[in-house]
Amino acid sequence: MISMRGVEKYYVPNEPALAEVNVEIEAGEFVFLVGHSGSGKSTFIRLLQRELLPTGGQIIVAGQDIVRLKNWKVPYLRRNIGCVFQDFKLLPNKTSYENVAFALEVIGRSKHVIRTQVPEVLRLVGLEDKMESYPDELSGGEQQRVSIARAFVNRPPILLADEPTGNLDPATSLGIMSLFNRINKTGTTVLVATHDREMVDSMRKRVIALESGHIIRDQHRGVYGYGD
Amino acid sequence: MAINVGYFLRESVVNFRRNWVMSLGAVITIYLSLLLVGVSMVLGVIVSEIVQSVEDKVSIQIFLKDGAATEDVEALQGWLLADAMVDTVNYVSKEDALERFKEEMAGSPEIVENIRENPLPASLDVTLTDPRQVQEMVDKIKVNETFLKICDRPDEPEESLKYGQQIVDRLFAFTRIIRLIGVVFVAMLAVVSLIFINNTIRLAIYSRRKEIGIMRLVGASNWFIRAPFLLEGVMQSLLGAALAILTIVAVQAAVMPRLQEAVLFLPVDVAATTMIQLALVLVVAGVTIGLLGAGFALRRYLKV
Repeated sequence: MISMRGVEKYYVPNEPALAEVNVEIEAGEFVFLVGHSGSGKSTFIRLLQRELLPTGGQIIVAGQDIVRLKNWKVPYLRRNIGCVFQDFKLLPNKTSYENVAFALEVIGRSKHVIRTQVPEVLRLVGLEDKMESYPDELSGGEQQRVSIARAFVNRPPILLADEPTGNLDPATSLGIMSLFNRINKTGTTVLVATHDREMVDSMRKRVIALESGHIIRDQHRGVYGYGD
Repeated sequence: MAINVGYFLRESVVNFRRNWVMSLGAVITIYLSLLLVGVSMVLGVIVSEIVQSVEDKVSIQIFLKDGAATEDVEALQGWLLADAMVDTVNYVSKEDALERFKEEMAGSPEIVENIRENPLPASLDVTLTDPRQVQEMVDKIKVNETFLKICDRPDEPEESLKYGQQIVDRLFAFTRIIRLIGVVFVAMLAVVSLIFINNTIRLAIYSRRKEIGIMRLVGASNWFIRAPFLLEGVMQSLLGAALAILTIVAVQAAVMPRLQEAVLFLPVDVAATTMIQLALVLVVAGVTIGLLGAGFALRRYLKV
């Protein structure tokens, strides 16, 4: 589903943000990407979204060579990748329902599709009672659920999350992670960048650890690390 | 697609209302520049009609001596008509000339009364197909033998010819300058309008940067993101064009009849077809400016 070969990314010469990255992620896998701030987690995620182009190497996502992908085709790539962020990125002047519906509206889905899929996905994330609430009426955890609903409403084969629990307390984080787990169970490939040690240790999923741009560990049923 | 058009229109209107001061500024500058384009087009039409009517009056008069032989006059007339530059040749007899003179001098009867015998020569009035060739034709006539034989003053044949080369030259110079000034002004205003639209679209993009970010995130196509902004630019310029057309029509309806009254001898009428052409030009120019201005802003401020 995701394949990176010899990928490197330099923002400034001689200081790699990522180097010698070789990763294969199969369809349906659940992967944690861990590391300190500045270790290259966000660069990793943004390369997969094609927010950034690598300085070198090959990246295949959902069967497409995204380095060679033409600019106008990028939106269609992104329809296959759901994204969740630390800061939720919800529109404050829209309700939960409207925020999720917006994602379908702007890729040209019909009203009928919107009316059936939005309530369904909001039920999936446990917000069926909060469909008409605005983001500032929701807790952090609930806002993140809306944002996950938005990322998943189009049923993308891949879900990327960049520090999804960075702003949330541990109990809420646990809820969010089990939500990712449920989404993963539907067959979606899930990649979560985090430095939430407890979470990673408790889930026992595949862990890819980054340090100053290099992969230092890639372990199935792994843990966060050996202390740092 | 039906959903999309509705969506784009709604978004554009929302954008317009969010930044209505800037939008209004853009509409007004487009309005003013298109108004100027329109006014200078109308003026251009009027001026060229005036030039046309003056040109029609530019003719070469060949004065003939009293008692010139009819066959000579006819020979000269035939020679003139055979020339490609000549449009018409009209014989004016001594009597006709006097009649005309009396009509023109109707305001001062004492002059007319004092005329005892007819002092005016007969003449051939020559009009040309292209008035700018007056000088050329005159030079040709001057060396014609029949002309030299029957002209009013054989000693000074030059004096037997009357023509308005200078009037034509001046008129052409004048209209050229007017056109040049018009073009310069219109170009400057077009640039100002472009800058204004560019700015309003930039503000619209800025105020919607969150939406745009999310649209990119969830995979809205590039043109889907751009369309509302382009549409906004086009709407602003169409509004300006509509106002300009309305103003010109209103001014024409109010001013033209009075202007016509004031300058009876000149044609200042603008045909309805000209007005329709004008409206089309303004709409096309407006849409072009709108698309260009919005396009520049999108290129610079909207990375998709």
